[in-house]
Amino acid sequence: MTAATLPIVAAGSPRGTRMAIRQTLAMAKRSTKETFRQPALVAPSMVFPIFFAALGASSFSRATSLPGFPKVDSFLQFSVAATIVQGVLFGSVTGAAAMATDIQNGFFDRLLLAPTTRTGILIGRLAGSAIFGAFQAAFFIAVLWPFGATIRSGFGGAAIMVVSGGIVALAIGSLMSAVAIKTGSAEAVQGSFPLLFVLLFFSSAFFPRETMTGVYRRIADINPVSYLVEGLRELVVVGYSTSAIAKAILIPAAICVFAMLVALGQLRRRLAAR
Amino acid sequence: MTNAASSPILAERLTRHFGDVKAVDGIDLVVNDGEIFGFLGPNGAGKSTAVRMLTTLLRPTSGRAVVAGFDVSTHPDEVRRRIGVALQDAAIDPLMTGIELLHLQAVLYGIPANQTKNRAGELLERVGLSAAGDRRVGTYSGGMRRRLDLALSLIHQPTVLFLDEPTTGLDPMSRLTLWEEVRRLNNEGTTVMLTTQYLEEADQLADRIAIIDKGRIVREGRPQELKAGVGFPTLLISVRKDQTDAARTVLAEFGDPRPTAEGTLGVGLRGGAQMVTDVVRRLDDAAIPVVRLEVHEPSLDDVFAQATGHRLEGDQS
Repeated sequence: MTAATLPIVAAGSPRGTRMAIRQTLAMAKRSTKETFRQPALVAPSMVFPIFFAALGASSFSRATSLPGFPKVDSFLQFSVAATIVQGVLFGSVTGAAAMATDIQNGFFDRLLLAPTTRTGILIGRLAGSAIFGAFQAAFFIAVLWPFGATIRSGFGGAAIMVVSGGIVALAIGSLMSAVAIKTGSAEAVQGSFPLLFVLLFFSSAFFPRETMTGVYRRIADINPVSYLVEGLRELVVVGYSTSAIAKAILIPAAICVFAMLVALGQLRRRLAAR
Repeated sequence: MTNAASSPILAERLTRHFGDVKAVDGIDLVVNDGEIFGFLGPNGAGKSTAVRMLTTLLRPTSGRAVVAGFDVSTHPDEVRRRIGVALQDAAIDPLMTGIELLHLQAVLYGIPANQTKNRAGELLERVGLSAAGDRRVGTYSGGMRRRLDLALSLIHQPTVLFLDEPTTGLDPMSRLTLWEEVRRLNNEGTTVMLTTQYLEEADQLADRIAIIDKGRIVREGRPQELKAGVGFPTLLISVRKDQTDAARTVLAEFGDPRPTAEGTLGVGLRGGAQMVTDVVRRLDDAAIPVVRLEVHEPSLDDVFAQATGHRLEGDQS
């Protein structure tokens, strides 16, 4: 065995930045492979949202004529955005639980033993969630469009929705990763799943806020999930516009920045406590 | 013995507390260049905590450690570039293949992409996993995981290798294979720090050992020297429970008592192993039938027992 031949690369130098990007991409690749190699975990987040969309389309078709309901071709078209957000919420739990498992089984320590950026470890994991979220969005659009869920903003709008799906996954994945890093327990991450479910149902995911009253409306007004869904929905039922793009990208991006700061804060605290 | 300042591993008053618990309590260590250093102790003695500090995974509460020429607290990245670490539980993602994990590890250590494939292939061959490289790790046996773990820790050709209980839970054959590989690495110039709770492992592999108990190093030296320091062979006997006190009195005539596992009496035979017949005759005269009898030349367990007052072998699972 010869002496170590590793190049010494200063953090922050152009070469150091390239190396950090390469490391983050490698971890994102691992995260994505890991996700798709667990069909039993992936399938529910792909199948159940489609099931709920089909159930809603067959049960609430007359709801589209309620006062305050946007002009839509069908309830299914109205449901596309909710289906994407629902699927991404479910999928993000899987990614965060995998991160907690890494902490539990010691793989996280293996990553910490390497001369990598600590932020890159988190970003790599989250990038995998984002890729999966974008894949889910594309899958839901591809499945629902032939059944009448027309995307009025066209293929361009659909592409923006796919990107938005990735950003939403990054945002929710960051929040759930904060739980994973704080607790180091996959069970704790899975246990916080009902909270996401409650957030989804007390949002405008399944009915527009204009049709709600009372406490439900007030909760939906302050529920960030409402805004995640509505940005996407505008691209589906209204069409291509600057405001629709801004809502579909900027609202999730803003939530994402906040959530990533929370997750990075948790990571710093965890490392400082060592 | 090399100069301590240039030693691959140097610890001075290294301490780590977890609340009120002193997991590592002011240890001093000097590991020389090119040696296999065994860190021997029972579960919970502080071995892994010490290794986690030396490998930058844990911050010391006080004291300092220099590994591969860099302070672990002030230059952790420099230390990480130069050390290889195989931790206790062989934490390997079961959903990835051996090759995929080696490639990931290569990227994490900044090995250029054009060198990664060859390096991964060489390492798989080295640890005898070429045929299993494309299989997911979840299908590997415990021994295969350990070997892959070792390969992963070698991807960047480290000068110092830490192996934290590398053979715990392995079958004897896998244990021997791993020992051979450790020896081979050491012959090629790698300094190895090996923690173990297995006496035989420390005896077989280590050039020098430190015995740790309750966070403190209680003995340090070459295994032969440490064993020679214990002196007399140990006679272990078992008698009926109601005759234990009487037997203890008889044994005291032949030497000092030695710590033993429960249900057994031990004595360091002042007159050497040839005194065994005299002991048996004396017990027979006292109408104390011997249920079981063993004579042990001084072992690392005796060294451990002399230093701590209890035996390591009784603690092993």
